[in-house]
Amino acid sequence: MNKLHSLAPWLVLVFGILYVTQHTLSPPENTTGFEVSTFQSIPVSAHGRTKPVGTVALNNLMMLSGKQTLLVNNRKMSATEWYLELLTNTDVSVAREIFRIDHPNVLSLLGLSEENRTRFSYKEIVDNLTEIGEQAQLASRVKAKDRDPFQNAVLTLYQRLSLFRDLSYLMAPYVIPPSDIGGDWRSFNVSVIETPSDPYVLTWINMLQLYNQGNVELFNDALFQYSTDLNKLFPAEMQKARIEVVFNHAQPFYKSMVLYVIAFLLGCFGMLSTQLSRASLSNTLLKSMTSLIVVAFVVQTIGLIGRMYLQGRPPVTNLYSSAVFIGWFCVLIGLLVDKRMKLGFAGTVASALGFGSLVIAHNLGGSGDTMEMMQAVLDSNFWLATHVVVITIGYSATFFAGLLGTAYVLLGVFTKLLDKEHGKSLIKMIYGVICFAALMSFVGTVLGGIWADQSWGRFWGWDAKENGAAMIVLMTLLILHARWCGMIRDRGIVVLAISCNIITAWSWFGTNMLGVGLHSYGFTESAVFWLLLYVVSQLLLMGVGMLPSSMWRSGLKK
Amino acid sequence: MRRFFTILASLRLTVIVFALSIFLIFAGTLAQVHQGIWTVVDAYFRSLIVTIEFQIFVPKSIATIPGGFWFPGGLTLGIIMFVNLIAAHIVRFKFTKKRMGIIITHFGVILLLAGEFVTGIAAREGNMTIVEGESSNYTEDSRSTELAIIDRSGKEDNVVVVVPDTVLEFKSGELKHELLPFSMSIQEWMPNSFILGPEQNQGKRRGIADSGSANIYAAQPTAVVSGVEGSTVDYPSMYVSFTKNNETIGTYLLSAYLEKPQAVFVDGKTYWVELRFARSYKPYTVHLIDFKHDLFTGTQTARNYSSLVQLLDTERNVDREVLISMNNPLRYAGETFYQASFLQDDSGTVLQVVKNPGWLMPYASCTLITIGMLIQFGTRLISTLRKSAS
Repeated sequence: MNKLHSLAPWLVLVFGILYVTQHTLSPPENTTGFEVSTFQSIPVSAHGRTKPVGTVALNNLMMLSGKQTLLVNNRKMSATEWYLELLTNTDVSVAREIFRIDHPNVLSLLGLSEENRTRFSYKEIVDNLTEIGEQAQLASRVKAKDRDPFQNAVLTLYQRLSLFRDLSYLMAPYVIPPSDIGGDWRSFNVSVIETPSDPYVLTWINMLQLYNQGNVELFNDALFQYSTDLNKLFPAEMQKARIEVVFNHAQPFYKSMVLYVIAFLLGCFGMLSTQLSRASLSNTLLKSMTSLIVVAFVVQTIGLIGRMYLQGRPPVTNLYSSAVFIGWFCVLIGLLVDKRMKLGFAGTVASALGFGSLVIAHNLGGSGDTMEMMQAVLDSNFWLATHVVVITIGYSATFFAGLLGTAYVLLGVFTKLLDKEHGKSLIKMIYGVICFAALMSFVGTVLGGIWADQSWGRFWGWDAKENGAAMIVLMTLLILHARWCGMIRDRGIVVLAISCNIITAWSWFGTNMLGVGLHSYGFTESAVFWLLLYVVSQLLLMGVGMLPSSMWRSGLKK
Repeated sequence: MRRFFTILASLRLTVIVFALSIFLIFAGTLAQVHQGIWTVVDAYFRSLIVTIEFQIFVPKSIATIPGGFWFPGGLTLGIIMFVNLIAAHIVRFKFTKKRMGIIITHFGVILLLAGEFVTGIAAREGNMTIVEGESSNYTEDSRSTELAIIDRSGKEDNVVVVVPDTVLEFKSGELKHELLPFSMSIQEWMPNSFILGPEQNQGKRRGIADSGSANIYAAQPTAVVSGVEGSTVDYPSMYVSFTKNNETIGTYLLSAYLEKPQAVFVDGKTYWVELRFARSYKPYTVHLIDFKHDLFTGTQTARNYSSLVQLLDTERNVDREVLISMNNPLRYAGETFYQASFLQDDSGTVLQVVKNPGWLMPYASCTLITIGMLIQFGTRLISTLRKSAS
């Protein structure tokens, strides 16, 4: 029995590694014989970035249908296969049910209300194209923040339809490589008219025809030849494209998300068994949790480094990557704290934050390329690397402090786990993390000010996002000063730390939802609902935290 | 007295000011949804007291709530924080190694507050718009306008009479100037407006004007804009009558929207009048050689904007070429030139010109605060680690 206890964490570690590496090193075979996996590594240019066909196919299929693969005759069809079909076999591709439509009024507009599904084909929609166009035009005249759900839905559908058209006519992405090194990528349907005898244009026509004819051998030959040519002329782009395909397959953030949730459950059970005074079981569970977190953390780190390599930029470039990075940094803090105080709190909290932030990232990145190009003013690696990274670390630290506070309240009120010693060390942790958060938020905010001064001569502009950052700084400072003058004690720190969660969530997300200011990017409507829900939950927690100590099951006494 | 001083120096006061500041900033952020950012900055952050409307907390689509409540403004809170900090150090000042971090940090905070104060009263911002191949020697402040009456009949220099919008806005009587043989009276002032062209104008209100552009255009008032972006600017318009010896010469429509000045004929002499963004003339000239607006391949996303300019200053013997681009401003003669915007079809550039005598203060104060915090938290961390190790 003892042997099992000491072995378990290692078994869990092995399980984690197996889970992560599955499919990564050997992508699933396809049975058609076409070298689809070579085709998906061919670089093209879309949204200003050179990326593999595989990424383009994946992003666009996600954008249209919300899915990464299609199910055709009980066989998984990869995004790249779908894309090839779209380019070569119009009759079939227009009948594929890939347009996701949820809004009942849009469905009735299309006369599809009776259908009991959420995905429809181009063929089913095409008859009502004019109507959709007219509705979309009406909706586009309304300011984005004033549109109702129907208007949003009809606009989205309209955009998807034009995306579908652009894709099938090869207007986007630009697939024809530059004619000379350092030149720009070109669109196929412009090149085919302007330079019809361009060898690349001919190659593409040839490849697409062969695929259409089902000529496996010749298609593979042509593809191989093209790939070899590109390798000679654009070795760097080819290398990046291949790595990006591996990155897409590996899904590092998705996999670490799954591992974090398992780790979180292990942590919860671990702490529960402490309460049931099953010390050895609890020890095993907590150790297993730590090994899973380590695996997930390593995977997430590799993912972050991969993104940085592919994009040639610091880790945080948009709302999506800020979520990934916040999670990563929280886990880092958690692992460090967990190593010092082997109580399981820090690890459980870290895995919850790792999981939560990756869920948020997953939802933010749901449609489109998460590695889009930066607007001109953001095109500065120096400031992205300093201001954005530091402020994001500040967010992470405040969230971490807030969740430690949550753990304190939940464990204190509902369990007997929080004895005097544990309580004291939790408070110490929270206090330390808040000091760190104050420093990082302040430095990050200031660096933002300096960036603003450098790019438009205004150190401080009272912009919504700037104000949000200032609120975090003030809140952390408020806690520290209130503690120093004895206005608050342990419980005060805890409750105020939880309130930091609200302010940080506001600053990170809420300010983007106002639709004003320089940072109003990445807005999503459903996010408003989740933010409100989150705020309410935190207020409730603060309320629970303020219950008289006689009602705390831990019987926390001063 | 002593008791008052203790309160003034107390940490409790600090905490309360922090809490009030957090709320003020939150309200000041929400208020930006409906009001222009500069209106909000003046009302919330640079005022002694502000009336916070209940409406800002609830979207108008859910409910309309009248009324509001008083709250200390940013200036008040800033002053209290400043006094509190200084008083605290006077009362409790002890220069020990342990307090080094705190003292440095707080000195930085004092500088930061002073810096924002200096910026608030002394910073000037303006835009310099230059068409490719042309030059400019003045900046315009898109936050304020002025009525200009120009007499070009002089041999060398024009005679210009300028009336700022702070006067125009409230002036109900007659406007006179010794250099002008006529007087003016403002019939209507619109803080923000749009102009109706001859087509849109038909059948609608032609305005009260009967001379100049008013024969073609009419102005319609609209709400003051919100947001910090350069593109959202208020365009005021006004109807103004010119009279001489109680005889009306004509009523004109003047608007910041209309680019060209209009002619007013008085005693056989021509005066050019326009409502324009407030100008300030510079002792140097900037000539735009080339403006570039690069896009990412196959997209409308800007990769970079840059202006190649020739800087000419005869007083200082300066004649050189400078490339101004995003994140790479030009600092010259106490002013900083930033790439801010551009004209339609990339035909010219808009540079933001900022003069802020306090621009270095945040840099200095932030360095101090960072160092101070590092010392403070660092020493604490080390001592905690030592304790737990032993």
